[in-house]
Amino acid sequence: MFFVSEILMDALLLQNISKSFDHFKAVDDLTVTVPAGSVYGFLGPNGAGKTTTIRMIMNIIRPDSGSVSIFGDGSVENMRSRISYMPEERGLYRKMTVRSVLAYFGSLKNLSSSVLAERIPYWLEQLNLADYAKKKVEELSRGMHQKLQFAVAAINQPDLLILDEPFSGLDPVNQEILKNIILKMREKGATILFSTHVMHEAEKLCDYILLINKGKIVIDGKLRQIKDRYKTGAVSAELAGDVSFIEALPIVSSVKRQDERFDIMLKDNADPQKLLAELVGSVQVTAFEVKAPSLHEIFIKLVGQQDE
Amino acid sequence: MSKILKVARREYIESVKSKTFIISVFMAPLIMVAIIFFSAKIAQTKPGARPPLKIAVTDLTGRLADEIDASFDAHNKKSDSRQMIVQHAAGDANSFDKQSAIQKDKLREGKIDSYVVIDSNIVTGDGKISLYTYKTEASNVDSLWIIEKLCRDAVIKHRYQTRNFDKELIDELQSVPTQQIEIGEAQGQEKVKSEVESFASMVVPFGFMLLMYIGIFANGQQMLTSVIEEKSSRVIEVLLSAVDSFQLMAGKILGLTGIGLTVIALWAFAAYSAAQWKGFPIDVNGWLFFYFVVYFILGFILLCSIMAGIGSVCNTLRDAQNLMGPITLIYIVPLMSWFKLVQSPQGTYATALSYVPPMTPLVMILRLAASAEVPIIEIFATLALLVVSVIVVIWISAKVFHTGILMYGKRPRLREVFRWLRKS
Repeated sequence: MFFVSEILMDALLLQNISKSFDHFKAVDDLTVTVPAGSVYGFLGPNGAGKTTTIRMIMNIIRPDSGSVSIFGDGSVENMRSRISYMPEERGLYRKMTVRSVLAYFGSLKNLSSSVLAERIPYWLEQLNLADYAKKKVEELSRGMHQKLQFAVAAINQPDLLILDEPFSGLDPVNQEILKNIILKMREKGATILFSTHVMHEAEKLCDYILLINKGKIVIDGKLRQIKDRYKTGAVSAELAGDVSFIEALPIVSSVKRQDERFDIMLKDNADPQKLLAELVGSVQVTAFEVKAPSLHEIFIKLVGQQDE
Repeated sequence: MSKILKVARREYIESVKSKTFIISVFMAPLIMVAIIFFSAKIAQTKPGARPPLKIAVTDLTGRLADEIDASFDAHNKKSDSRQMIVQHAAGDANSFDKQSAIQKDKLREGKIDSYVVIDSNIVTGDGKISLYTYKTEASNVDSLWIIEKLCRDAVIKHRYQTRNFDKELIDELQSVPTQQIEIGEAQGQEKVKSEVESFASMVVPFGFMLLMYIGIFANGQQMLTSVIEEKSSRVIEVLLSAVDSFQLMAGKILGLTGIGLTVIALWAFAAYSAAQWKGFPIDVNGWLFFYFVVYFILGFILLCSIMAGIGSVCNTLRDAQNLMGPITLIYIVPLMSWFKLVQSPQGTYATALSYVPPMTPLVMILRLAASAEVPIIEIFATLALLVVSVIVVIWISAKVFHTGILMYGKRPRLREVFRWLRKS
């Protein structure tokens, strides 16, 4: 349930949290704000500190310093029924049936029997697991097991859902199902924070991203703004007519041609609109796209720079 | 609290449905009963037939031949299928060495099955019966005991005759019937105790201790299995996102205590019913039952807490077995010394063991079942000590559990565990 004041407030606020294991600093002075009602991508290479940060959010481990606040409340315990978590390490009771697993974890999240009687069939249906309700967990395939794990996390329809690598191990069809469910939850006002290595999924889903490496923030903010910041000046166009003049234009750095398709690299700070104006006046333009860098490219570039 | 109950409920229901529970509740007593039943039946059955045994006897007294023949004849009349044929190999002091060598060769060649030499001074002096065998088979060991007995009977019979003693008269003189009588509170309340009842007064306290041991130790190990299973199946992190580590541990302890009590109640009921059916007297008063339950619950929680701590730092059962060794030893000490404890339930040894927390429930229930004289102050003192131990161990285990449960890979060293405790 949302309060009006909460729609305006941040779903999650991490302030200067740090965590060390022996002499290894897993998370180093991390400050993060996750706006309510957003899909927030938590990205980083292996060992960057993503899971440790998520465990601190869930109060499974305690930070050495700093604070965690969820919907303005500093006590995670008070918020436990409003948040949910799907860990990276999948695991459920193998001997229990699908239905009883959902009923047990639902009850631990303070759902009454009557609510569970509605929610269990709903989530089984949403995830195409209805036919497996009476099967034991050990009889499920890896993908189905993962979908059940998601249902366990979503059964209380949390206001803040934290997913650690939700897409790993899922086939494209099931990835699509999960993606649609996440978007539907956001439409209903939930905040979803997820960590992933699958960059194209993060790119399609996220409103905001946070990239961490070696326990520190590399970059964070709105996905659109980050992509704008790392624009490369690349333009892709489909052109017909005499195109020999393009390479000679003062704003153009280089041109690559493949039949009617041209990959044009502009000089620093050159405006793509100017190029379009030049083209429209001289040749037939059937397609024109200012190419933004993919999240994957930004990831590789920034993490690569740090590792160097 | 409600989450603790929910965890406990799942632990109880899933355990009750498991094969392990069904085996421990039904199979274990059934196997025990079957063993007792078949052992008794086997003991009652006559040994199988075998070819007659040939026994050569050199009687150096030269006077026992009749008694020996009579003794073996009497045996052969009773055991048609297990005959023993005596061959007298005459010998005296001069020819003995030669005769002995001949008979021993026969023994080696398998012509005879054993060779008996009776010393010349056995009737009046300290001579002995020597029984020679060669590569004795296990199946013939009981026959050798019979040969010894038959020869000994012959010597004793001859001793009586040479001294003009009437054996039947002596047997009669030696027979003095006795009885044990338990008196009640009021005059005239008297009950003659049978031998079975006297035996029961020693065995029943041990039975109580054994029941306590199996209840605590066998069922307590389920905690170890359960924690390691949740850790290795990675379900632990999902759980910890819904409940905190203390709620999880407390819920598991509560659920398993319920399982332990169920198993104990079923076994106790079965044992009591079987004893009543067979007429074996078990005198259980309400207080003993009450103390059993209280000591069991505290002892069980204590062991479960230890197991939760151990389980949380181990990744596999094999890992845990190394740490289990010292704990198993502590619980075995009272079992090993049960006879001493029953004989002297108020002694220094029994009193001292009562104040070693893991042993307290075992020793105290044996003492309470064996004697009505255990001072009430000792009962309160041991219960108080047990309660304090449970609180301390739960505190330590909860700290270890909180950190250890999410650690995978190499098992932490003891020094590292101490560091967790200091840090927390």
